[in-house]
Amino acid sequence: MSAPTTDDQARRRNEEIVRPEKPFARFRWVVTITLLVLWFGTTSTVDIELSGLAQLPERIVTYLGLMYGPPDLSVLGQAVEEMVISLGMAWIGTMIAAACSFPLGFLAAQNLSKRPTVFVARQVLNFFRAVPEIIFLILFIPIFGLQPMAVAVALGISSIGTIGKLTAEVIEGIDPGPLEAADASGGGRLQRIRWSVIPQVMPEVIALWLYRFEINIRNSAVAGAVGAGGIGTLLVRQIGQVRDFAGAGTSLAVMILITLLVDTASGRLRRRIIRGPTRSVDIGAEEPDGGHSGDGGAPAKNPIAPI
Amino acid sequence: MSLDASSPPKGTSARPTKPPPTAFAVLGVLGFIAITIAAGYDWTYGIAFSITEIIENFTRTNPAYEGLLNIDWTRFESEVVRQGFAETFQMATIATMLGALFGLPLALFNSVTGAPNKTVYVLVKNFNSVVRAIPDLVYAVLFVAMIGRGVLPGVLALFFLSVAVIAKLTSDTVDGVDPGPIESARASGASHLQMVRTALLPQVLPNYVSFSLYTFEINLRGSAVLGFVGAGGIGEPLNNYYQRGQYDRMWGVVVGFFLVVFLVDRISIAMRKRLL
Amino acid sequence: MIRFEHASVTYPGGVQALKDINLELGAGEFIVIVGLSGAGKSTLIRAVNGLVPLTEGRCFVGDREVRVKDKKELRALRAEVGMIFQTHNLVKRTTVLNNVLMGRLHRTSLWRTLIGAYTKGDVELAMQALERVEIVEKAYVRASNLSGGQQQRVGIARALAQQPSAVLADEPTASLDPPTSHLVMRDLKGICRDLGLTMLVNLHFLDLARAYADRIVGLRAGELVYDGPGESADETVFRDIYGRSLTADDVLESKAAEL
Repeated sequence: MSAPTTDDQARRRNEEIVRPEKPFARFRWVVTITLLVLWFGTTSTVDIELSGLAQLPERIVTYLGLMYGPPDLSVLGQAVEEMVISLGMAWIGTMIAAACSFPLGFLAAQNLSKRPTVFVARQVLNFFRAVPEIIFLILFIPIFGLQPMAVAVALGISSIGTIGKLTAEVIEGIDPGPLEAADASGGGRLQRIRWSVIPQVMPEVIALWLYRFEINIRNSAVAGAVGAGGIGTLLVRQIGQVRDFAGAGTSLAVMILITLLVDTASGRLRRRIIRGPTRSVDIGAEEPDGGHSGDGGAPAKNPIAPI
Repeated sequence: MSLDASSPPKGTSARPTKPPPTAFAVLGVLGFIAITIAAGYDWTYGIAFSITEIIENFTRTNPAYEGLLNIDWTRFESEVVRQGFAETFQMATIATMLGALFGLPLALFNSVTGAPNKTVYVLVKNFNSVVRAIPDLVYAVLFVAMIGRGVLPGVLALFFLSVAVIAKLTSDTVDGVDPGPIESARASGASHLQMVRTALLPQVLPNYVSFSLYTFEINLRGSAVLGFVGAGGIGEPLNNYYQRGQYDRMWGVVVGFFLVVFLVDRISIAMRKRLL
Repeated sequence: MIRFEHASVTYPGGVQALKDINLELGAGEFIVIVGLSGAGKSTLIRAVNGLVPLTEGRCFVGDREVRVKDKKELRALRAEVGMIFQTHNLVKRTTVLNNVLMGRLHRTSLWRTLIGAYTKGDVELAMQALERVEIVEKAYVRASNLSGGQQQRVGIARALAQQPSAVLADEPTASLDPPTSHLVMRDLKGICRDLGLTMLVNLHFLDLARAYADRIVGLRAGELVYDGPGESADETVFRDIYGRSLTADDVLESKAAEL
């Protein structure tokens, strides 16, 4: 039989060991107290009247009744038209973001660029991320007018931060082998990017763009804040200004249905692109415990970027 | 022997011809071009992309950019702006905490492993999709119509946004958990909810907390737009300055808000990095 | 204690994992199931606690029949049968004690589970189980910080915390090195003897099986091909079970020599 091992010796020592005391969970206490302070600190000072909250369920029922009892289908054509324009804003915006973020993603990838470059590129991406869409929209209205185009550009510029960061993470996750091979065959910097990095990252990056398109469909509603067109503007006008709730019921339904439809189609396309033409690998089962990265909250290997 | 491209091919072994691109790739590229043209073209369903117009507009002077050159930094002393900042923080905090609370069960039941049965799974999944399909601004304008202007509709709008984000992102990680502990919980006679609590939850907890922090970042940024429809927060003074054309004041508040968001982003991201 | 009557399992894909098994295992016996991978060892063990439902025939634990339809009764039966896994199946992010307390879930109310407030009695039982496998000093350590052998001992403690009358072990040594494998087998054998539990263990290695088993059950392509005392299982018996002569891969000691 086997010789005594270190494990064996450890077990013999155990005979003197008594049960441990339950350690003091300092981290848990800190978190609990912080959460309690935040909750009571904000709820006790916030300017909310509880009577408003109490009325809420009844109001929801009333207004759903106004919207869907029954909805005004005469605005259906207009709602679809505005929704398609919203999709257009999201699409063009995502393309602008894709074009701008792609080079930035390479500059921000630690395995391709030097440290100072990475630092600067990341700060640029952080800047775009921290500015709310509405600010970019206000910034672009003087150039493009109060038009869908202004929204498209605003969505595009404000998506650069997130897409760029996630692109950089995809690039950092590549297999270093082909990079070495390109170096070994004497390739220059751009050549190695073209022939060893881009082929590896492209499916995931395109999937990332499509996912951002889905998010931008929702974000295009920001146009409603200033009246720059699309379904968001229509809904803000119907609900907030002319109080045409029956019409809003139709618009809301159109928006939800088309959003879900595009989501489903885009989701399938993303899975197909990542899986590739051979049906051999199931992307869902690819990374059981994927390396999760800091920014964007998305698993690096599975670019399901947050909204 | 060395390879020489100028010498004629020898031997009888047939070289393969370059395979044509797959139908998927061809359709993908064509569809991409068609959608882009349709979306950018100047017609009923397009957004009318025009380069000449951009250049034309760019060369004109306009008050928005003049304001940007003469930023008024004194507005931070005004009660309205201070209150806007305070409200934004309150809204984002309350909405994130409530959203995290309600988002967790919705995330766990949004997957086959976590849902107690198929009916709950289908119901929760569809509920989550619909909640996620409505943008925060639309929630805000709806709640303002229902209960009047103020902070409450803003909190409600951000609450629904938080639930949607947390449920979606967390449920994506539920699908990837180690199935071993789930089997061992079942084997020890645990009920479904006990299994979820003891075997599933500990595995998704770090991601869940990280996504909750991320949601706070989103809520802080998102709160800026809500004031434009009367749902409180920093957007209220922003909208006032914008409507009155007081761009110097507006940009001052914008820069201040940007610095706050940037700082909170950095802190939150640093915390999330330590968590995972 | 455990009884199979004409038990068969056919998986949805059409693979027949068990064919008409008739087997009766007595209380306090230490039974080792041997066979090639895919012979149905895992299926046989999982049929006992209903993780894999029988498609034909019946299985009894004590006087209870294993019925997958009745969820409540199935949980009660599972609570009485502990299980040890090849991959330990611990929740790595939580403490050893919390993992062992999972063995008490059937007797814990839902609200106590949700807020993690186990009773003093349950914690005491979990501590005793940890003492039994001599790893109590790690009670408040995260499971991920333990070695493979230590994790498997926690897995055993979790099964013991159920206060079971029978324990199933699915390849408990497959992800351990040879010396640790022997330690784990010695532990299991000791527990079986001291607590009078019925123990049903899957093993791949024949020398381990012969060294520890009271009784060996051989499976080949889902069929019962051998059932007899451990010491009388010789080369020819194994050739029968495996359908070929023994190779170095089937013996643990030769693995040890490679290290």
